[in-house]
Amino acid sequence: MVKLLSKIGAFFRNVVVLKWAVQFIFLGGLIALIFNYLNIAVGNLANTNIAFSWGFLGETPGVSIAEGLYTLPKSGLQMLQTGMLNMLRITVTGIIAATFFGTILGIARLSNNYIVEKTATSLLEVVRNVPLLVQILFFQALILSLPRLEVYDVGSVLFHASSKGVALSWPNRQDGAWMFMLYFLITLYISNRVYKQRVKLLEEQGRETKPFLWSLSALVILFAVGWYGGYRIVGIIGFVSGFISQGLEVLPGIFYQILLSVVAGYISITSVRKQISSKRSGELQGKYSDDDYFKMIITIVIAIVFIALMFAPVGQGIAKFLVGDEPTFKSDWGLPQFFGGISNALDWSITGAPYELNMAEIEQVGTTKFKKYSTEVGKSLTVGYFATWLGVVIYTAIFISEIVRAGIMAVSKGQSEAGLSLGLRRSSLLRLIVLPQAVRIMLPPMGNQYLNLAKNTSLGIAVGFPEVVAVGQTLYNQEGQTLPVFLIWMIFFSTVSLTLSTIVNYYNRKLKIVER
Amino acid sequence: MSIIEAKDVKKWFGDFQALKGISMEIQEGEVLVVCGPSGSGKSTFIRCINRLEQHQEGSIIVDGIELTNDIKNIEAIRSEVGMVFQSFNLFPHLTVLQNITLAPTWVRKKSKSDSEQKAMELLERVGIPEQANKFPGQLSGGQQQRVAIARALAMEPKIMLFDEPTSALDPEMIKEVLDVMKELAKSGMTMIVVTHEMGFAKEVADRVMLFDDGLMVEENTPNEFFDNPKNDRTKLFLSQIL
Amino acid sequence: MNIDIKKQTRVIKENLFSSPVSTLLTFITSYIMISFFRGMFGFATAPDKDWLSVLNNMQLYMVQAYPESDFIRIWICVGLGFIFSGLSVGLWETEEKTSLSKLCLTFSKIVSGIIFLTIIAPTNSVVVSTATGIREQVEVFSYAERIPLLSILIGLLVVFFLISKINLSFNKSLLVSIYLFVPIILLWIMKIPTIQLDSENQRVFPDPLMPIANSTKIPWTLIWISFVVAYLVGVYFKNKKQFKNAVSISWVLLPLLIFSWIFKKPLIDLNELIRNDIPVFIGFLLIGVLTIYLINNKIVEKFYSYYLGFLVVVTIASLFLKVILLVKAALLLLLLFSAIIPAVSTSAKGKRSLTIVWIVSLTTTAFLLEGGTSTTQIVVPGSSIFGGFSLTWLLAIFGTYVSFPLGVLLALGRNSSLPIIRGVCTGIIELVRSVPYITWLFFASVTMAVFLPDGVEFNLIVRVLIVTAFFSGAYFAENIRGGLQSIPKGQFEAADAIGMNTVQKTSLIVLPQALRAIVPTLVSSIITSFKDSSLVTIIGLFDFLTIGRMVIGNQSIPINFIGHDRENLLFIAFVYWIFTFTLSRRSMKFEKRLGLGER
Repeated sequence: MVKLLSKIGAFFRNVVVLKWAVQFIFLGGLIALIFNYLNIAVGNLANTNIAFSWGFLGETPGVSIAEGLYTLPKSGLQMLQTGMLNMLRITVTGIIAATFFGTILGIARLSNNYIVEKTATSLLEVVRNVPLLVQILFFQALILSLPRLEVYDVGSVLFHASSKGVALSWPNRQDGAWMFMLYFLITLYISNRVYKQRVKLLEEQGRETKPFLWSLSALVILFAVGWYGGYRIVGIIGFVSGFISQGLEVLPGIFYQILLSVVAGYISITSVRKQISSKRSGELQGKYSDDDYFKMIITIVIAIVFIALMFAPVGQGIAKFLVGDEPTFKSDWGLPQFFGGISNALDWSITGAPYELNMAEIEQVGTTKFKKYSTEVGKSLTVGYFATWLGVVIYTAIFISEIVRAGIMAVSKGQSEAGLSLGLRRSSLLRLIVLPQAVRIMLPPMGNQYLNLAKNTSLGIAVGFPEVVAVGQTLYNQEGQTLPVFLIWMIFFSTVSLTLSTIVNYYNRKLKIVER
Repeated sequence: MSIIEAKDVKKWFGDFQALKGISMEIQEGEVLVVCGPSGSGKSTFIRCINRLEQHQEGSIIVDGIELTNDIKNIEAIRSEVGMVFQSFNLFPHLTVLQNITLAPTWVRKKSKSDSEQKAMELLERVGIPEQANKFPGQLSGGQQQRVAIARALAMEPKIMLFDEPTSALDPEMIKEVLDVMKELAKSGMTMIVVTHEMGFAKEVADRVMLFDDGLMVEENTPNEFFDNPKNDRTKLFLSQIL
Repeated sequence: MNIDIKKQTRVIKENLFSSPVSTLLTFITSYIMISFFRGMFGFATAPDKDWLSVLNNMQLYMVQAYPESDFIRIWICVGLGFIFSGLSVGLWETEEKTSLSKLCLTFSKIVSGIIFLTIIAPTNSVVVSTATGIREQVEVFSYAERIPLLSILIGLLVVFFLISKINLSFNKSLLVSIYLFVPIILLWIMKIPTIQLDSENQRVFPDPLMPIANSTKIPWTLIWISFVVAYLVGVYFKNKKQFKNAVSISWVLLPLLIFSWIFKKPLIDLNELIRNDIPVFIGFLLIGVLTIYLINNKIVEKFYSYYLGFLVVVTIASLFLKVILLVKAALLLLLLFSAIIPAVSTSAKGKRSLTIVWIVSLTTTAFLLEGGTSTTQIVVPGSSIFGGFSLTWLLAIFGTYVSFPLGVLLALGRNSSLPIIRGVCTGIIELVRSVPYITWLFFASVTMAVFLPDGVEFNLIVRVLIVTAFFSGAYFAENIRGGLQSIPKGQFEAADAIGMNTVQKTSLIVLPQALRAIVPTLVSSIITSFKDSSLVTIIGLFDFLTIGRMVIGNQSIPINFIGHDRENLLFIAFVYWIFTFTLSRRSMKFEKRLGLGER
């Protein structure tokens, strides 16, 4: 008896047992807590007669949106789509602009010129120490204090600003723009290949091959050919995806369910196999720590849960989305529609220049005395868009300038001296020695700033810019479904963050490999 | 009765096998010097003795207690085995005195005044009582290592492990640390010392061992080891190091 | 003299005109800066701006609708804050010296800057006419108006020049008192116009002789005097370590006391107090003190673990039993104390300081509970007592206050070697961080109510604080994780080798080192919280920004300020800037000193 007791005691004093016991108690407590609150939520929602449902995504909300893809959305889903696109519009253009201005400011702060340096620094101190929301509101107020649009004559202008917003001249997309864009990407890839090829030749044969000139001329020639109709070659892709679209329409939903399950199963099995085989060499046969076992078990459990979900209503719903036949949400972006859309956009019967440069235009609204900026030609920015964009760009550019400055300063002086002593010119010194090292230091914090920018766009709600948070708020004020809207926000922002950090991490890893 | 008994100890790091079956016995009061090329598993072995690393096969018995996963055994062994590291590992946010009294007060639950008195005695023994209220960052490497020895001794261990205690030091500082270690050896402490200081081994050690590639290649008295090595590997090693 | 001028020209040439590009840049930047200043100045002085809309609403900005009869509570709180600041400045005084001539040099630089700006300021301003909607030019600041101002400024320059001849040097920490003295003296001598209304509530032209700050100048002067006194006391006790510790702890407790003091004017039932609370308080006080002094007794020591076990059982039981709140809290406190007594209470000195800590913490708990559970006598129209600047500070300080411990826990969890705990903590941190703060605020304002059990309701401010705790906690966790990763592996091994367990290792070795590394980030987190607190305007809390943007912008009674939100936005931006700028500068200096102190 005593022996048994001591044995039990020893069992509970075992480090491994203790470790896992603590974790499972923690996990159990956490699950119980979550379950408890979910239960309460279900009860509360039942009492208030707004049971949790996704139905509002399919219903017509009956409100209009100030700007974006659908200004009169037919369903909640379309409304959210509009908000998401608006948000992404600011994020993408904002990241480009903020990086540009931030780099200039960062270099200005390193300048020897006293006035330039002090100006950049004081801009930094002002912008950094005032809340972004206040800045955005201030930009809004500034534009609203401009004269009203009604006092101006109708006609074309190069650039115009009034209390209605800002309008600029802009190359407007024509029918062939999508094809040209794709064509241009291919062109970039080709000229990059040309550059690498020439560099390889240079290294192999030791003669001057002028790689930069070659790739530049390839780019220019291909661009010119493309602009005058050559881009229509991309129509082949559209042609193929038309066929794919027709083929996909035949496939039933169960096909996707099985496909996804098989993929999940395959991934989990290969990863477990990898873990097993990594320990199989030499005398290590079968030597697994409890961590290894845990990893394998958790991989399999996740795969099983995923497969089970695929055949539950959730999986059927996803499959219906992919088929493009979802009655409740009126979704029209399944896979067949997706490929159909591609084949429509990339149609080789389209002709004409892909872009057309237009001046901004002030138009009469009907027969009233009110006027507006044309949305067809030129580019018009609403007050909300402009204030939000300017706010997040300046705010982020300031933080990026700090990163750029720190990055360049972190590359030690010795590195530059070593480069100079090798006889490198100033320009090649910057390009070959300083920048590659500085970029490597700058990239991770830069990625954080991009994430912040994406999140800060949500402040557009304060100046009436209909991005995803503002649109979501309008939606739940209409339907009372706060929880689903919140979940959608969460999924959307997590996806954006994940995508951004994946891109940054990809370049980070690439640069690291280059370094070695 | 032997105080440490290791039988066929094996240890893997992922794919790499660091210990390929080490067996040894150490008597109470014995001073054992372990040497060998880097990566030969000597550090790993002594770290297994107080469970900083976990051996995967074989058994280690310290002072009659077997090292298992039982948390009670691990605690018991750790409070009986003191350890000195190559990189000192003093706690930078505490003064020298606090570094030494930390373990006696919190692990042994001794009163603060007692442990402080004991700490001052130890500092005198290692020759730096005047540094008691300084921070580790203000001391030289040799002084820091002597504090680390005092910190280990404060727990009144039966066995002391030294993991290359002089490798990170300048030549003149090595001597002051070795003097402390010699004094400690004379006082009858059981010691396992991983070191490349062959002079120390000749003078103080009762036995010298050579590790290579996870195995114990040679075990001998110091005189035999240096003057008359049995193994070819030992000859090669000595020719490189001396 | 000649050499000096040569040197000056050389410096200017090197800094501004070293190359053609540099020269060009100099001119372009100067032009942009000057036109920016002229534009902003014209914007601010245009006749359609009514700056009295800012000045006249100062009270609204600071405390929103807090009843005037209870203002003394707020003054006392502000005063307490200043007294503790004074004490700290004195206690942690720098050794650096500065001289009167240096100080005068700084002041004359500022005054010269103002003179330069006055000269280049524009005479005209552009206004959008309300009738036609077209821009018009209006004269705002003629040269004749500038002459008196310029002559005063030049007079000041001369005064500074004369004073700088006096050879006097003093400690740099004293500067704070001098800087604070400037606004105080301005309160007494500056006349800022206020708006007055006639019998028909029509606006009369401002009376230029009525200082706006009339009601505040006496309290502020008293506060300044107590600041100086506190500073001197601090200098006197500079070398007392215990005094320093006491002040540090007070800084942690102060916000709790202050906010409870503003929040509650308790209606205390005397009968209840004498019958229940005081006996309970005294009882627990005695038990704690007895435990501290008897712990080294041989017999007591033997039974100490039983005593602890008994306390655990009683505490847990009391949580489910119907006893007054004070008993529950005091039991919990006693349990925490009893656990650490044996380790600390080994010497007479340790016993003494432990007794002080015990008495202070028990008294604070009792006091807070007493205030917290009784009904308040402060009645404020609207949803909450806090509004305006006090709400902004409440959110910033308490946001940091609750999020810090949470951040420490999450960071430890994310660095743990246990995979499940690590996974869960990583998940929480990443999930919280990936979503913008504003969506969490919406969660607090609309969604959180769904998850609360029947009958439990939180004030919106409390809900916002809960959400903020998680949000900034996740950011804190990432900072602290950086600190944790900077600790070398050898530290953990050394702690293992001397036989410490996980709790001891974490609390004695890991956290002290990690936290030291993140003190600067703590300040920057407070700054971020302070700035982020402005977002609550979107969910409709009456913070500093809301008051300026919505309340004053729509104010028509008693005075019409509709449409004057731009002036107020500028003012708000300025106030935010002043606070964040000084805080970040202070923290940079503090960081430097911390770095020096370590070596």
